[in-house]
Amino acid sequence: MEKALKAWKVQRRVIVALMIRELTTRFGRENIGFLWVMAEPLLFASLVGLLYSFMIGDQEHGVGVIAFIASGYIPLTVMRNSFGRCVNIFVANSALLYHRQVLVLDFVIVRFMIEMIGGMMAFLLIGTILALFGLFPIPAHVGDLLAGWCLYMLFVFSVCLVIAPASELSEALEKLLPVTVYVAIPLSGTFNMVSWLTPAARDVVLWSPFVNGMELMRYGLFGDAVRPYFNIWVPLGASAGVAAVGLALCRRVRRIMVVE
Amino acid sequence: MISCINLQKNYRVGHSQKRVLKGINFTIAPGDRIGLLGRNGAGKSTLIKLIGGVEVPTAGKVRREMSCSWPLGFHGGFQGSLTGYDNARFIARIYGRDYDSMREFVEDFTELGRQLRMPVKTYSSGMRARLAFALSLAIEFDCYLIDEVIMVGDKNFQDKCHAELFEKRKDRAILLASHSPDSIREFCNRAAVLQDGHMHEYADVDEGLTIYERL
Repeated sequence: MEKALKAWKVQRRVIVALMIRELTTRFGRENIGFLWVMAEPLLFASLVGLLYSFMIGDQEHGVGVIAFIASGYIPLTVMRNSFGRCVNIFVANSALLYHRQVLVLDFVIVRFMIEMIGGMMAFLLIGTILALFGLFPIPAHVGDLLAGWCLYMLFVFSVCLVIAPASELSEALEKLLPVTVYVAIPLSGTFNMVSWLTPAARDVVLWSPFVNGMELMRYGLFGDAVRPYFNIWVPLGASAGVAAVGLALCRRVRRIMVVE
Repeated sequence: MISCINLQKNYRVGHSQKRVLKGINFTIAPGDRIGLLGRNGAGKSTLIKLIGGVEVPTAGKVRREMSCSWPLGFHGGFQGSLTGYDNARFIARIYGRDYDSMREFVEDFTELGRQLRMPVKTYSSGMRARLAFALSLAIEFDCYLIDEVIMVGDKNFQDKCHAELFEKRKDRAILLASHSPDSIREFCNRAAVLQDGHMHEYADVDEGLTIYERL
């Protein structure tokens, strides 16, 4: 017990140090520094939201289009960026493995955390600004919003645990990843609620852990203006399974890894 | 005490396996100063990386019952794109040391001055050696793993290493991989020769050096 507590303290120290290192190498110390982390989701969500509101008007199925798109697009950018950032991180960071307390798992945690925190900051900022113009609702159920976000992100993290070691084993993965993520957008729940679909399509998309998280998130945000369909056990179960595979792969890759 | 128990390491080369270490049994007791000898490719760096926990053995085990530095060498341990100060700060953080006293020691030991504000990738090998030693001496380990790097330093650096490692830290163990008979004679009191994946130990440094020179 005491040993586990000590190990946990060491890991906490390592993760904080790696995070600071990552932020300084990626964003530098000049101008707005690490606030850049939320720039991309922010721009994407607001511009795409604006574009849609010109294309289909202010409202769709009774909810504001800009708010709807922004709430879907921010988790999507977090997902896409986290996946992309996990490719080849073990070898790229291998100089740090000279320090025994640094684990390959820490690299994945740090990259994912930075993307996720950036996404949360972007969500908060965009929501506040849009709310001032009356374009974003005050969240109806904050707990459900957070729970949905956590479920979505838990699955993103589990997939990262697989992508990071798999990218060291196969070069094809790096090439296939962007197109796979792009094709999977309909299964991310970004652009529609499940209730807008036909019953047959509903049964298909509800197998996606992302859709279940997103439905809960949207219910937390828009309240009774939307009708959510979700089952929290889909993202929880899928995450557990995928994370178990990922951890096993990480362990395997660490064993055969050549550190310069 | 650090013990290697039947340590084996294979590397994958294409579809076959290259066996670099074929069962090393070896212990480093507190205060031991061991010179690690062997031809290029004999597995000296591999053994040091396994003892330091940088790579994982294919079979066998390393048991560490005293604290052990990371392998001090030309590669690893640093982030090339970060400055000397940033690297020091990172290492102070992950080892839970106070950065201010660390910075003071590093400035004093390396004598790099303004260079510490430059990215480590712009450093010469001698400058890297100074930084690596300064950082690990600031943390205080019971055992230092040194891979070649001591030889690239100038006279002033060698003198400093001697003072820090041999006068102030007489009780610490070192494992020094080197091709230079002079440094092995100067720093070590035992020798180990790696050949064909096996290790032969010699209580007398000169005996080990003679064997090594005949390889």
